[in-house]
Amino acid sequence: MFSEDNVVRSHKGRAETLGNFIVLFFAIIFARLWYLQIYKGDELHRYSMENRLRKEVLLAPRGMIYSRNNQLLVHNIPRFDAVIVPQYLSGRKQVLEKLGQVLDLTSEDIDKTLKKNLRQPRYQPVIIKKNISRREVAVIETENSKMPGVSVMTFISREYQDKEVGGHILGYISEISQSQLPKLRERDNYDYKLGDFIGQAGLEEERDLELRGEDGHEFIEVDALGRRKRYLGANKLFEGIEGKAPVPGDNIRLTIDRDMQQAAYKALEGKVGSAVAIDVKTGEVMAMVSHPSFDPGQFSRGISSAYWSDLSNDERNPMRDRTVQEHYSPGSTFKAITAIAALEEGIVDAKTEVNCPGYFQLGRRRFHCWKQYGHGKVNLIKSLRESCDVYYYKIGTQIDIDTLAKYAKALGFGNKSGISLPRETPGLIPTKEWKKKLRGTEWQKGETLSCVIGQSFVLSTPLQLAMAYAGIANGGKIFRPRLVKEVFSNSGKVIRSPEPELISEIKLKPETLALVREGLKQVVNNPKGTSWWNRGQGIAMSGKTGTSQVISMSAEKLFMKCQDKEYRFRHHGVFAAYAPYDDPRIAVSVIVEHGCSGSGAAAPVAKEIVTAFMKKYEPEKMARNIEVQRQEYLRILRERKRIEAQAADEENRVEPTEGSEE
Amino acid sequence: MISTSAFVEALKKYDFSFFGISSAIFFIGVINLYSATHASDDMSELYIRQLGWFGLAMIMGIGVSFISPKNFFRFSWFIYIMFIIQLALVLVMGDMGMGARRWITLGPLRYQPSELAKIAVVLGLARWFAKSDSDRELGFPQLIVPAIIAFIPTILIALEPDLGTGLLVLLVFFSVCFYRKLKWKTIAILAVLGVISGMVMYNFGLKEYQKKRVVTFLNPEADLRGSGYNAVQSKIAIGSGRFLGKGFKKSSQASLSYLPENHTDFVFSIFNEEHGFFGSMFLIALYIILFFRFIWLASSVPRMFDSIVSIGIMSILFWHTFVNMGMVMGLLPIVGLPLPFMSYGGTSLMTFGICCGIATSISNARNLF
Repeated sequence: MFSEDNVVRSHKGRAETLGNFIVLFFAIIFARLWYLQIYKGDELHRYSMENRLRKEVLLAPRGMIYSRNNQLLVHNIPRFDAVIVPQYLSGRKQVLEKLGQVLDLTSEDIDKTLKKNLRQPRYQPVIIKKNISRREVAVIETENSKMPGVSVMTFISREYQDKEVGGHILGYISEISQSQLPKLRERDNYDYKLGDFIGQAGLEEERDLELRGEDGHEFIEVDALGRRKRYLGANKLFEGIEGKAPVPGDNIRLTIDRDMQQAAYKALEGKVGSAVAIDVKTGEVMAMVSHPSFDPGQFSRGISSAYWSDLSNDERNPMRDRTVQEHYSPGSTFKAITAIAALEEGIVDAKTEVNCPGYFQLGRRRFHCWKQYGHGKVNLIKSLRESCDVYYYKIGTQIDIDTLAKYAKALGFGNKSGISLPRETPGLIPTKEWKKKLRGTEWQKGETLSCVIGQSFVLSTPLQLAMAYAGIANGGKIFRPRLVKEVFSNSGKVIRSPEPELISEIKLKPETLALVREGLKQVVNNPKGTSWWNRGQGIAMSGKTGTSQVISMSAEKLFMKCQDKEYRFRHHGVFAAYAPYDDPRIAVSVIVEHGCSGSGAAAPVAKEIVTAFMKKYEPEKMARNIEVQRQEYLRILRERKRIEAQAADEENRVEPTEGSEE
Repeated sequence: MISTSAFVEALKKYDFSFFGISSAIFFIGVINLYSATHASDDMSELYIRQLGWFGLAMIMGIGVSFISPKNFFRFSWFIYIMFIIQLALVLVMGDMGMGARRWITLGPLRYQPSELAKIAVVLGLARWFAKSDSDRELGFPQLIVPAIIAFIPTILIALEPDLGTGLLVLLVFFSVCFYRKLKWKTIAILAVLGVISGMVMYNFGLKEYQKKRVVTFLNPEADLRGSGYNAVQSKIAIGSGRFLGKGFKKSSQASLSYLPENHTDFVFSIFNEEHGFFGSMFLIALYIILFFRFIWLASSVPRMFDSIVSIGIMSILFWHTFVNMGMVMGLLPIVGLPLPFMSYGGTSLMTFGICCGIATSISNARNLF
């Protein structure tokens, strides 16, 4: 047995071998240093002096966006920026002055821009002016030799075919700002740089990762002035570096129908409001317009300050997407939901009649009907057709607010729809618990009376309203509204085509549906209906008008003519509909802010959208309906002629009297 | 008076060689750091902070040098277990950065347990080898336990993921085993097995894009920085120094920021650009002297534990040096290991300072005999 001392000594051989290995390893290092510094030294020295290797980013083309019928809505166009590469800048003062003349900038401005970017490596280009004109590009390119360090870089910007139409759903791309940078880096685990473009609203934001693709890069050899010389050849020195081709972003086919979208936008012109049309069988959004709007293309070209201040100073807030980011009292359009709840709960049936004297007395409080002197005897169908408030006040005394909330929520109210648009608001359906939590007070019976006619706490986005009416049309199914029909690659391969997604389904009695649907049909298709004047031509629309009170007012003010009120106190006009009523395919909702009434302001917009739909998707049915309408009209005309003839006969017999013309 | 003379005695026996050589390298390093970063706006003060870190590292190193090696032996398992726990904690609740989870935050302090864990592994291995038949040669059966001791931290570190450090622990493990008389036959078998399985895996098991993906996964920083590009710029920097170099503060690659990370992983490139082949000979000579000082120490201590610790620590320093130099001159893939005493960084300076402290302590104890 060795003593421990001897054990250590016995390892001395290995220690020496280790020492030899160390020498050997450093010999390799020295050999390599010799190769690089002595054998290749002069060549590499020259390289370092000229800095001939440069990495250039190859931007990935962003995915394109198509309409449901394959019309191109968004595509890419080149944008030219004037840049300076500080490394190659010589004769600074003259160059800046000359460039200033070309670009219509002062040399101080250019100097400031350069100073702001002092921190970045000097071989990285600094953007001096974005989106320069073709003429400016030509001047810079030809005067290149007189302005060392100045060059033109090509970027990709977005072109939105229909400009303002659908600006909100498409969104826009713009540069990442200083404050966004860390958050986005964290979110996507990607090394974004200041000034990279990213989707900032609408689908461009929500689907950014799909649309964006992946940037590539290439290595190029440049001359002493930074001009591209040639692609890297088979130089052994540059082994191990290779370019990366950019991967183009995926393309998106929307569920949006371009014609309907344009019809909706046109109908909303001159108004402040929004319109949504969805497919009742799938939840696909076919039109979605908020007005006033903005041109998304402006943002991707580096927005001009004039355009931006126009947008931000506009009191109507054009940047706001009124279809999902804004909620309103649905007004009388909500009566259809109250009617469903009351019928299902057995509070009323087809035969229930309520007398409407123009008001409803609850304790000391008087609730007014919109019709000052009342509707007389009202049943359910008439209550919808003529929008009698008193009928619903009566229901309001018998229905529990939580029960009403149950039905409203089952029809999609009070929750975010989950559409792929940013910053959606959930709207609000009040419950007793909600009020207690928020206000700390108990629910008042009178409050239910306001809620059943869609006022006070009840708030809905236009999208939710359309979803609910789609639910009435299809028998109680609420689908997740979708904007994206499919995502496909540049080679045309379909990557994803989402299936309709059922959010909730409520089983409703056939009598309930039949009654409510008949009521909604008569609103538009019965001469006594509140929207008879917007029945259109052959579009077979069922719907409901509504008025959303901006502020609660006294009775006297309530009956004051809306047009006489100050703009900001005027009611919002609401209209929700579906069509065709015999086999519904789309549901539409329209809100016109301060439009005074649903029938006057909102319903005409819905009529235009439904007409656009029927023309395109149900032309035969529409033609048939028009024919039926025409026959009906002719019949009435004949009838009238007959009566007139009869009257004339009588006139001939009797002495003619003055007056009484129809 | 007695205490004073005892102090003088202790001072006489104190081995200054480790701290001396490493300080020499550090001062070359800090001057180089100043030169590499002086042109940059946000990093021109970096060398001052590096001096601060060095001060701290010295205090810790010298502190450690006064601990008796007996205590290293006594607490080696404890230290080892402590670091395994820390490495596990990093995976569970560490801070993310550059796509990897490597840091633990303690109040204002952020540190990487994987740095000091290398020393803990050396202590663990030394403890095991010192106890088990330390006069016999090692075959496969004797490798089982040490392999477990080394592989647990290696796997934990590789999962962070930090491929460079994980690999370094393995290299240290093999160096220690080699010193502890791993049979040549076993070495040959291991080498053949390693080469074959590596080649099969790389050439047949993986497709081109998978290889890249594996590399990116294991070392996300490499891709972020565009390792190929950096490697080429680094080669240009080194080569352009030629025999005598461009001179102090004359590095064009650094001042134009062509070479990112020139204050951490790529300091050796800048040093070569400015001081050339001649400068490198001088610097590498210093490193070689330092490593040989460790090897001499290993053969002149009475206890096997101390001897193995010396070799282990030497191999930590050596592999850092070799891998860093190899990667910046394009011999090895860029795995992101710092160059001891040259690269900027508090944790790594601290680690290397403690390495010197342990060696000094072992050396001083030997003189007390």
